[in-house]
Amino acid sequence: MSLTDLIYLSQKSLRSNILRSVLTSLGIIIGVSSVITMISIGSGARQEVEEQIERFGSNNLILRSQSSSSRGVSMGANSVNTLTLKDMEALKEELPAISAIAPRVSLSTQIVANGNNWLTSVTGTTNDHFNLSNWNFELGRKFQEDELNKGSRVAVIGKTVQKNLFGTDSPIDEVIRINKVPFTIIGLLEAKGGTVWADLDDTIVVPLKTAKQRLVGKKFPGDQIRSMTINVSSTELLFKTEKDIDTMMRKLHKISANGNPDFVIRNYAQFLNARQESSRVMSILLATVAGISLIVGGIGIMNIMLVTVTERTKEIGVCMSVGAKKRDILLQFLIESLMISLIGGFIGIALGLGVIFGVSEYFNWKMSLDYTSLVLSFVFSSSIGIIFGFYPARKASNLNPIDALRYE
Amino acid sequence: MIKINSLSKEYVMGDNKLLALNDVTITINKGEFVSIMGSSGSGKSTLMNIIGCLDVPSSGDYFFRDNNISSYNSNKLAELRNKDIGFVFQNFNLLPRLNALENVILPLLYSGKNLKERNKLALEALEGVGLSDRINHRPNQLSGGQQQRVSIARAIAGSPKLILADEPTGALDSKTSLEIMKILNDLNSKGITIVLVTHENDIAKYGSRIIKMKDGKIIEDKKNVTN
Repeated sequence: MSLTDLIYLSQKSLRSNILRSVLTSLGIIIGVSSVITMISIGSGARQEVEEQIERFGSNNLILRSQSSSSRGVSMGANSVNTLTLKDMEALKEELPAISAIAPRVSLSTQIVANGNNWLTSVTGTTNDHFNLSNWNFELGRKFQEDELNKGSRVAVIGKTVQKNLFGTDSPIDEVIRINKVPFTIIGLLEAKGGTVWADLDDTIVVPLKTAKQRLVGKKFPGDQIRSMTINVSSTELLFKTEKDIDTMMRKLHKISANGNPDFVIRNYAQFLNARQESSRVMSILLATVAGISLIVGGIGIMNIMLVTVTERTKEIGVCMSVGAKKRDILLQFLIESLMISLIGGFIGIALGLGVIFGVSEYFNWKMSLDYTSLVLSFVFSSSIGIIFGFYPARKASNLNPIDALRYE
Repeated sequence: MIKINSLSKEYVMGDNKLLALNDVTITINKGEFVSIMGSSGSGKSTLMNIIGCLDVPSSGDYFFRDNNISSYNSNKLAELRNKDIGFVFQNFNLLPRLNALENVILPLLYSGKNLKERNKLALEALEGVGLSDRINHRPNQLSGGQQQRVSIARAIAGSPKLILADEPTGALDSKTSLEIMKILNDLNSKGITIVLVTHENDIAKYGSRIIKMKDGKIIEDKKNVTN
């Protein structure tokens, strides 16, 4: 008997009881849709983390000043800037694991250009800023050495600033006013997109010296800076360097090992790991649901197939009397249970896609659809159909023709 | 065609042993129309099931066309039922989900004939029993006589050497019974050996030879002179 004939006969008997077939596959439906959602959440989170590492630059630590909360009284954020360029030089000198440091001062202010207003954040830094944070230039260039040294009024702007001040026109060589000080635009950064926290492209970068002289002289007097982005030469050294920086800074700022520091070291990896961890927990939860429902679904199929075999005992006898071999009967029932589980697989995939779409729309989560998960679902559901369908099918095929025929 | 030597069949029911066939020896030649008669429990159905390879004897030998069936495994028995034997049952035993044509095709599916050939054979068989206009009807859309004719078509579609009919008219009225017996008679005159089990004299008399059974033994075996 050929496979197409077997499939024809199987679908005939499944269609005679559609409701039962679909209800039987319910466990598989839930299982498969959980598998798909689970994999999608997992790979979505992983992708997001990878993208963000890509955006911020891997192996970066952020060192920023922090008002010390001595005797339980906070001095308020941003009120004291204790980091200095001297600290930066000392760190660079003492810790060979540090490959580069980008200093940073910043302010939020109103920008005027082209008759338009825009409120954005202005960063004063060096060219290391572009390297360490993986910024690429869509147009124009970085700062030149003498621009940095002289404190020239030049600026590099992000995509969002361009869009709001110049539309789609090239901003190069245009003049913008930051705090009424005119700056010439020399570069446009490539878009990085938004994160959960901020629009990264909403930025203006000027040379550190210019910023200190013209924009934030009062806020950051002398060689004070707001923060620095520290690039560590390899990921393995990240944690050790973080500790070394802490020790070093305590020494420089004369803070005892257990005293309250006036700085804080942020590690993006930690931050992203937390995000990854929460999606991992979610995935484990879904994997548990998927596993349980696939097993329960399989047992459901086995149960219904056993009922079906009993119900159709006489029919099996008739088939045997006209020449069906054991193998024919075995295959027919196996194909029936396989079809039930594949129907479940199909519906489960549809449901899973619906859930993925819904969740990513509603919660704005990143869910990436992994095609291997579709293949995996098929493999899962069909193997469950075969594994749990085998016992009933074998029971049917081992019936004695005359006993089956006489069964009432 | 069929040679049976001191065949016995024993059923064990709890502590009781029931001897359904007790040392039966019989020979059926090619082209014969044999009616087996007897009251219920006489062993006539058991004998027929063994002849049809649906059941196996407890002891004794069974030769079908000079082959010793006792040594056959279930696959070879299935093949024999498929190619050489056609069954007609009292309650038709058609598959309710399949239409008349599909029911007739069923044995041809198992013999692995291709689509074109099996459709042709099935249509011919249905035509042979006068049901060409009912091929798409399901069993529950057919009368008893029509259903039995479908089951005869199913029995003959694979051109068997032997047809076994177990009370084929048991569920039919007398007029329809006559039609069915006429079809069987025609098949016999085309050279197909027929073994018929019945307890009705009127039906048994269609046979060219009548065997009477009682308590698992053959008590009478003679040519039917009235025919």
